[in-house]
Amino acid sequence: MIVINNKNNYRSILIISFIAINVLVLFGISEILGYLNSGADRSSMLHLEKETSNTYLPKVTWETLKNQGRTMEAQTIRKIEEHYLFSYVIKNNALKNNINDGIEDYFTESTRRQLEQVISYNKTRKISIRSTTIEHHASLDFYSEDGQQVVFTDKNVVEFQNIYQDNKLIASVRDTANYKVLMLLEDGFWRIRHYVRMQKEKSLVAVELNKKIYTVKGNEILKNGVPYIIKGINYYPKNSAWDMFGNKFNRDTIAADFEIITKAKLNTIRIFVPYEEFGKAEIPQEKLDKLKIVLDLAEEKKLAVIVTLFDFYGDYSPESWTLTHRHAEKIVTIFKDCKNIIAWDIKNEPDLDFQLHGEQNVKPWLEQMIVTVKKFDPNHLVTVGYSNIESGEILKDKVDFVSYHYYEDSSLFEDKLAVLEKATKKPLVVQEFGLSSNRGLWSWFGNSKNVQANYHKKMQSIFKKKKLAFVSWTLYDFPEVPDKVAGKWPWIKNKQKQFGFIDSEGKKKPSFLYINN
Amino acid sequence: MKYKISIFSFCLFTILLVSVTLMPKKQTGTIVLITQQKTFIAGDKIILDFKGNSSNKPKLFLIHSLGKTLLDGTIKNDKLTFILPRIYAEKAGHIDWFLAVNGENKLHGNFEILPNNGTKTNIENYLGPPSTLVGDDHFVMYVTIPTDDFDNPKPENTLVIFRSQFLNAITTQTVKTKDLIAWKIIKAPTKSGIVLVSAQCNATITKEFNAVIFAGIATNFMISFIRNHQFADGNQITTLKTTIIKDKFGNVVSDGTMVSFIISTTGGMVLKSFGTTINGIATAQILHPDHQDVYTVKAYVAGIAESNSIAINYMPINPKIEFGFSKDNRTIIVGPLRSFMNQLVPDGIKVSLKVYHHNQLIATLQEDSEKGYAVFIISSEYYKEKKYSFEISTLGSSEKVEEKKYDSN
Repeated sequence: MIVINNKNNYRSILIISFIAINVLVLFGISEILGYLNSGADRSSMLHLEKETSNTYLPKVTWETLKNQGRTMEAQTIRKIEEHYLFSYVIKNNALKNNINDGIEDYFTESTRRQLEQVISYNKTRKISIRSTTIEHHASLDFYSEDGQQVVFTDKNVVEFQNIYQDNKLIASVRDTANYKVLMLLEDGFWRIRHYVRMQKEKSLVAVELNKKIYTVKGNEILKNGVPYIIKGINYYPKNSAWDMFGNKFNRDTIAADFEIITKAKLNTIRIFVPYEEFGKAEIPQEKLDKLKIVLDLAEEKKLAVIVTLFDFYGDYSPESWTLTHRHAEKIVTIFKDCKNIIAWDIKNEPDLDFQLHGEQNVKPWLEQMIVTVKKFDPNHLVTVGYSNIESGEILKDKVDFVSYHYYEDSSLFEDKLAVLEKATKKPLVVQEFGLSSNRGLWSWFGNSKNVQANYHKKMQSIFKKKKLAFVSWTLYDFPEVPDKVAGKWPWIKNKQKQFGFIDSEGKKKPSFLYINN
Repeated sequence: MKYKISIFSFCLFTILLVSVTLMPKKQTGTIVLITQQKTFIAGDKIILDFKGNSSNKPKLFLIHSLGKTLLDGTIKNDKLTFILPRIYAEKAGHIDWFLAVNGENKLHGNFEILPNNGTKTNIENYLGPPSTLVGDDHFVMYVTIPTDDFDNPKPENTLVIFRSQFLNAITTQTVKTKDLIAWKIIKAPTKSGIVLVSAQCNATITKEFNAVIFAGIATNFMISFIRNHQFADGNQITTLKTTIIKDKFGNVVSDGTMVSFIISTTGGMVLKSFGTTINGIATAQILHPDHQDVYTVKAYVAGIAESNSIAINYMPINPKIEFGFSKDNRTIIVGPLRSFMNQLVPDGIKVSLKVYHHNQLIATLQEDSEKGYAVFIISSEYYKEKKYSFEISTLGSSEKVEEKKYDSN
C-alpha cells in the first residue's frame, strides 16, 4: 500500500514521462529537419562529368581515325566514345524499363522523339528488352572542321538481348550488325542525330597463332602433341580455403603444398580466381602478381594449372556483361603466353545458377564468355566445370573439353559416364570428385576416413582402367569454411571441411594412398 | 461383335494417340516466310506473311535502327501476318527479325527499308567555323544532312548542289552524299568580306548562310603625332596615330585590333599608351611632360607587327618663379606662375617645395597650382627649428630661397 500511494512514485512517473515526451519531440523535429535536408545534392545542379567505368565497358576499338575532315584529337575521340557508350546505357535502360530517363542528354531532339515513340509502343504492350552490346569496331568517316559533327561506322556490333513480355521470357537473341552513326556536339554533349542500322560485314577470320602447348585431338588432350592425362587435384591452401589470394597469401606455404602434390605424382592443379575480390572490371595489380606467383611456383614444380575464373560471380544480367568481359580480358591477356596453363575454366558449377539467375541469362553469358576468352587468349583451352555429369552436355560444342563434377555414388559412375561419352566426342575431365570423412558430432552416420579411402580407391581403379583424366577434391581438410561457400548450418559446413587427403593437422589420411592410383 | 468393337476401339485409340503425338510437331515445325520482298520504302505499309498453322501465338522480334520490339501476329487460314508499326516502317535501315514460338527462335530473316525519295526533302545544315581569315588556305566547312520527310538520311550518292557567292563571283558545285552527309569546303578569298552559301537537294533549298571572312593579321605600319604646341607644360595632349594598318593582301585589319605605343623618355622611363583600330587607324594620347624631354615612340601589334620609331621633342617653359612669405614666414605663396606666353599656368601644375635646415633636406612638399598660385604652409607644429631655407621648383625651373627665421612657440 505504501508503495502505491507514495507521492515520490507519482513525481518520478511525471518527471520520466516529461523527459520521454521531450525526447520524442526532439527526435521528431530532428527527423523532420533531416528529411528536409536530404534530397537533391547541390552538385547535381551542375553538369559535371560522369564516369562510365563500372557501368558499361564493351570492347571498343577504333580501326581508323583518318578522315577527310579535321584531324581527330585524342581528347575528343575519348569523349565521343564515352558519350556514345552512354547513349547505349541510356537506350538499354530505356528499353528495359520503358522510361525516358537521360534520353535528352544523349539524343538530339528529332532522334529523341523517335526513341520515345519506340518506348511508349513497348510500354503499352508490356515489352521489356534487356540488352547489351559486346564489341564495337568503330572507324571514323568524318569529323567536321568546327568539331561539332562526327560520322563513324560502328562495324559488327555484337548485341545480345532477352525479350520479355508480361515478365515472361519470349526470346533470347544474339545479333550482329553495322551502324552508321552521326553525332552532334550540343551543350557539351555528343548526341546521336542519326543512327542507321546496316548489314553486318563479313567477319575477319583471326589468324591463329601456333603457340599452343595444350591442344585437343579427338577425345584426348595433348601436350606438345603427345597425349596428356590430367592427374590433378583442386587446390586451396589449408588455412585460406576459398580465399587463396587474400591476406593470408603465403608463397612458402603454397610452394610446400605444391611439393607435396608433385611428390604424390600428380601433374595438375585447379585453382580459383574470385571475381569480386579480383576487382571486377578493374583488377588491382597486387592480385595479378599473386596469381603470377602461384603460376610460377606451379611451373617450378612442373604442375599444369586449370584456372577457374569468375568464382562467386552471380549476376548474369546482360547489363553487367561488359564488366565481366573486361575482367576476363585483363586476366587472360596477361597470362596468354603462360606455358603451364592447360585451360581457362570459365565458371565453377554455373548450372547451379540456372534456377536463380535464369538459364536465358547464364547460358548466353557462358557462350559469349567462351568466345571472349578465346579471342583474347587463343593459346589456351577453354572449359566449363559443371556441377554434375548430366550437365556436361551443356554447350558441349563450344568448349574444348567437357568438365563435370561427380559427387554421386561411385558405383553409378561408369554407367553415367557412358551416357556422356555417347553425347560428345570431346575429351572428358572429372574436374571434381571426392567424399567427406565427416563422421562425428554433426553427422553420426557420415563416412569414416576408411570409407573415404575406399571411395578413392574405387574411383582410381575406374580411372586407371579407362585412362580417365581426373581432378580430385581436395588436398586438405579445412579448419574454416566461409559462409558464402556452404552456408551457416554447421552440419553442412562440417561436411565441406573434410574432403581432404590430408587432415587439418597436416597428417595424411588413409585416402592419401589413393590420391593417384 | 464384342470382339469387333474392341478392335475398333483399339484402332481408334491408336489413331488418336498417333495424331496426338504427331500434331504438335506439325504445328511448330512448318512455318515458312511467304513475303519474298527484301526491300521496302520507308512509309510504305510493311507486312510479313508466314505460312503455317500454330495455335500458340508466335511473336516476331524486330531489331531496327533505333528500336527493338515484339509484334503479335494475326492468324487467318494458316497464314500468319505481322504488320510493322508505323514508327518502324518509317525508319530506314536494315531490319532483322526473329520469329519466336514458345520461347524458341524458329525463323530469322532480314530486310531493308530504304529512305523515301518521294517525300519532301529536308536539309539540316551546319556552317563551321562561321568566320575565318583571308587567304592562306583558310576555309570554312559547310555540312548538309539531307533527309527524307521521315528523318531518314538520304541514300548514298544523292546529289546536293552547293552555291556560294563572293562579290561578283557565284559558284555552283554538285556533291554526292556519303556517310549520311554532303559537305563542301569554302576557301577564303584574299579579300575580306562575307561569303554567302546555300545548298539545294531535290526541290529543297536552304536559307543563305554567311561566312564572314576577316582580314588577316597586320603588317608593319607607320606612326605620326599631332600636338597643339611643343612646350612641356604638363597639360596639353599629344595624339599618336598610325597609318592605315593592313594585312598582307591589302585588307584593312579588323576594327578593334589593339596597338600598343611604347614611349621611352630620356631618363630611361618606359611609358605606354594603347589604342584600337577603327578603319585600320589606331590613335592614342599622351600628356605633355612638365619639363624638357624627348619621347621616343614605337608602336606594336603585339607579336605581329611593329611601326617605325619617332622622336618627339618637348621645349622647356622655364618660367620665372615669383613668391612671397607671410609675416611669420609660415605661409609661402608661389606665383603668379606664367607659362610660355605669359599666361597663367593651368590649374594642377605641380609645384614642389624642398625644406632645408642647415643645408639638410627635411621635407619635400608638393602642391597643385590653382589660378596660377600654389600655397605652402610651414606649420609650427612640425617645423620647430629656428631657421629654414627652401627651394621651389616647377615646370623645369627652380629657385632657392635664403634662410628664414622662425619663432619657436
